[in-house]
Amino acid sequence: MLPLQILIDGFAISSLYALGAIGFTLIFGVSGVLNLAHGGVMLVAALMGWMLAGEAGLGTYLGTLLGIVCGMLAAYITYLMVVRPIQRSAAIPREEKEIFVLTGTLLWGIMIQQGMAYLFTDNPITMRPLIDGVMNLAGVRVPFNEIMIAGVCWVVIGLLWLFVNRTRAGKALLAASMNPRGLTLLGFELSRIYLLAWTLYGVLAGIAGVLLASFLGVSTNNTGQLTASAFSIVVLGGLGSVSGSLMAAYVVGYLETVTAYLIAPTLRPLPALLLLVLVVYVRPQGFLGRR
Amino acid sequence: MTALLRSRVVWAAALLAILATTLPWWLSGYILGVLTVAYYFGVFAMSWDLLFGFAGEVNFGPTFLIGLGAYSAAMLNAHWSAPIPVCVIAGGVVALIGGLLLAVPALRLRGPYFGLVTLVAVLLLQNAIVIFAGLTGGEIGMMVPDVISVDANHNYWIALAFLIVCAILLFGLSRSAIGLILQASGQDTVGAQALGFNVTKHKLAAFCISAVFSGVAGAMLVFYQGTASVSTVVDLGVGVQIIIAAVLGGRRTILGAVLGSVFLIVAGEFLRPLGQINTFVVAAVALAVILFFPDGLLGNLLRVRERE
Amino acid sequence: MNDTPLLSVRGLTKRFGGLVAVNGIGFDIRPGEILGLIGPNGSGKSTAMKLIMGIERPNAGSVKVNGVEMAGWLPHRIARAGVGIVFQHSRPLHRQTVLEHIKLALLPDSLVKLVADPHVNRRAREIAERVGLSAVMHRHPATLPFADLRRMEMAKAIARDPKVVLVDEPFAGLTQTESQAFSDLIRGFRAEGRAVLLVDHNVKSLAALADRVLAMYLGEHVAEGTAEEVMRNETVRRVYLGGKIETRERTVQASSDKPSILEIDDVGVLYGKARALDGVKLHVREGEFVSVVGLNGAGKTTLFNAVSGLVPYHGTIRSAGQDIKGMSGAAIARAGIVQCPETRELFSDMTVRENLDLGGYHLANDARAEQLAWLFELFPILKSRQTQTARTLSGGEQQMLAIARALMMQPRLLILDEPTLGLAPVILEQLSKAMDKLQKTTPITVLLGEQNVTFALPHADRVYVLEHARIVWEGSPTRFEQEMAEGFLDAPPSTPTQAVRA
Repeated sequence: MLPLQILIDGFAISSLYALGAIGFTLIFGVSGVLNLAHGGVMLVAALMGWMLAGEAGLGTYLGTLLGIVCGMLAAYITYLMVVRPIQRSAAIPREEKEIFVLTGTLLWGIMIQQGMAYLFTDNPITMRPLIDGVMNLAGVRVPFNEIMIAGVCWVVIGLLWLFVNRTRAGKALLAASMNPRGLTLLGFELSRIYLLAWTLYGVLAGIAGVLLASFLGVSTNNTGQLTASAFSIVVLGGLGSVSGSLMAAYVVGYLETVTAYLIAPTLRPLPALLLLVLVVYVRPQGFLGRR
Repeated sequence: MTALLRSRVVWAAALLAILATTLPWWLSGYILGVLTVAYYFGVFAMSWDLLFGFAGEVNFGPTFLIGLGAYSAAMLNAHWSAPIPVCVIAGGVVALIGGLLLAVPALRLRGPYFGLVTLVAVLLLQNAIVIFAGLTGGEIGMMVPDVISVDANHNYWIALAFLIVCAILLFGLSRSAIGLILQASGQDTVGAQALGFNVTKHKLAAFCISAVFSGVAGAMLVFYQGTASVSTVVDLGVGVQIIIAAVLGGRRTILGAVLGSVFLIVAGEFLRPLGQINTFVVAAVALAVILFFPDGLLGNLLRVRERE
Repeated sequence: MNDTPLLSVRGLTKRFGGLVAVNGIGFDIRPGEILGLIGPNGSGKSTAMKLIMGIERPNAGSVKVNGVEMAGWLPHRIARAGVGIVFQHSRPLHRQTVLEHIKLALLPDSLVKLVADPHVNRRAREIAERVGLSAVMHRHPATLPFADLRRMEMAKAIARDPKVVLVDEPFAGLTQTESQAFSDLIRGFRAEGRAVLLVDHNVKSLAALADRVLAMYLGEHVAEGTAEEVMRNETVRRVYLGGKIETRERTVQASSDKPSILEIDDVGVLYGKARALDGVKLHVREGEFVSVVGLNGAGKTTLFNAVSGLVPYHGTIRSAGQDIKGMSGAAIARAGIVQCPETRELFSDMTVRENLDLGGYHLANDARAEQLAWLFELFPILKSRQTQTARTLSGGEQQMLAIARALMMQPRLLILDEPTLGLAPVILEQLSKAMDKLQKTTPITVLLGEQNVTFALPHADRVYVLEHARIVWEGSPTRFEQEMAEGFLDAPPSTPTQAVRA
């Protein structure tokens, strides 16, 4: 029954990765930022959700919801206090802005990680599953929670697709990733579009964070790994390509699951890393990268 | 004008160096220990500045090169009982080879991809060390039988001497004709090519120099501390600290990186009693510097002089 | 002066994806000769220059210097083989002095030479003196004016002792006196027996300097000869001016009592240190169609970008009495001043319909539908291509889409920047008809910037001529035909400042 187990577990973890990675890609596509505080944003959502659900006694559902809100706030702060000031700074030459934003978000991520560890705990935490119970799928025991997580991820991804392709605001967002100047000429304030992008990102990363907490658990020590995973997936799929991120998330998710089950759990992140190196050298634009 | 400037900076540096030599006579062994680490860190940061400030390439994983140097020296010493000088040189050589393997393909990549590859290199090294735990001691790290000295003063002076030698070499390089070519290559690649310079060749050379100094310094650090571990020499966080130190001190100044390192390490130590929050504070300060003083300490000082 | 060419180019071709930027260009330059390569934006002249220098690799063709084939070599090899380039803009090192920049150019490509040879210093000083920089040798680039920065670029090129010198837009951003000094330096190259290639937008600035001129358009060779011959060439005139100028009868416009929609007063723009606009004064009244005519590089785009709030400026720009400086670009567009830029700025991966919908984003649903229907009537081809992505449209269709999208915003003032650039005459006809219909059926106000006088004149109520960053003429289309038409291409620069292409 191992193959089936791998198939199911792999699917769940990949879906989760996909959610996080799509958020990461979105921000890169629209805002041009590779947010190295990504793990931190997910962490805030997860930890706050856990704390509010358990310690503050608000219960799992409310805790989860508030956790997502916290994730959104963390994303806002990242944009308003780190990314935007650097982008607007007159003291930093244009060619170096990207590097400064990268370093700035990296630092901010470290601050979140250490701050959260200090305020709460650096032990791994798990959130209580939203749905209890286990079901039997062709001989494999699968927690309902796991199925729900995969389901939620896909629903959210679907909603995002609808938003971007069927609503006017979503199309404006898409247009911003293609041609920001064109939007300005049509009377759109780019600052509002960026805020929208970061809001969406915060929600996506927040959901990914709380779901991860209830599935595999989250620890402040893993924050860097979370960012690295999202980063790898996005580069594999192609920077700026949402469908690429989706594909790559499944490739990485399954690679990791297979490694964990068949080789050794400690070597989990290795194949993805090797694949990443290969891709960067052979085809830097990733599977479906544009330009 | 620049000659004058240079001598002001150089004189100030010389004065500081002399001052530093006298410190063991009135500081405790504990503080000397902190400074010793800071001095090795200073070499890490200077090497980084040469690559970034001059060749214009951002290395997000300086600890890849440092780690290679540190671990190869450690393994040589622990498993084959080679004497320290041999290990240190070997560390430099291994870092150089690693640097070449990384740089030759990586320099062909544009934009964020180069930085990304350097980041991934660190992660790969980390994983490799964990996998071959038999040789490397894995996540716990390994002890080395030999150390440079057990006397705090001796260690301090050796570190200081090492720092001064490296500083002279790296600073001298940055001010030389080659340094000029490197600067041009980093800031205006097309312009430099139009002047007849093989930019790739020069950037590769900068990478190699950075690798050698990083590797040797990493090896020296191992023989000071007596241990080699992933969290000290192959860590992404440490890499970020190196970048911060160089930026704090002032990009493209080389000597500023030393100031930044000393500040960072001393401040980190100073804040240690605060517990876990000290990393937070250091990161916060660094972020503030990036936002409000991107030119760093020495950078701002030099800017002011230029206006005159 | 011997007769074998120093630089010999044949069949030079470069493709960027589907776009052919340079198509089979060939020419010779003999030692001691200056060739001017001219063309409007998109003509491929800058690309051709980059191909010779090795900054871009040619897809086909040969570039020979002194008989040695260099096409496809890396730029530093080409530089060492005797080709030098004087860039229009460069990024100087801020912590290095002027002298150190020149010294850099004298250094060999060595990894081990830590100290420069003793003669380098002396030679650098000599060169600094030659270009007129000895007074500022020890200063840093940030403290120098634009003209000195260009001199520094010249000095760096001289230092390399090149056999062939490529100069990019020699006089852009320089005053009359500065241009003279620069011309002398270039003549110095000729006297030294070097081959010089000057690349520029238009013939006028090169006329006094170039021995021969080659005109390019859309990547192809259009004419070659002396400056006068090229200026009189029929194809060149058609391509630059659009052919014979005819004005049509404009129906009544007693617009002098209509309110002013746009008032530009004493506006100047600086790009870094280079002056792009100088003391421009212009007004547009409600319902008028005003054409600003000028060659590429005169400053039209800069002017429009200033109006649209995309570029900082000195002076005042008022719309309906209100000062619009400080308003964001988006706010100005929402206020009714909509620009359709030269680069069109379409959302290439979105469909025609999606592009138009974004234009009408701020309208109510039924208003948008109405506007869309009206535009489909004006530009029927867009209706039939509704579901195609913008990227797949032809040049003319893309231009129509860009204009239609701007019109979706129901602008009070529509600014059109060089809509005819790169379009075939048949498309120009269609565009002209659409413009006509627009004028006749709506109270729209239009500000048009064009190099193509044939397109700009028939619809216009008033014409301004923008030349080298200044307005040099103003009047009715009929008067333009009488006074300016003949000399449009030929008149020597009558103003001190020359413009810089944005």
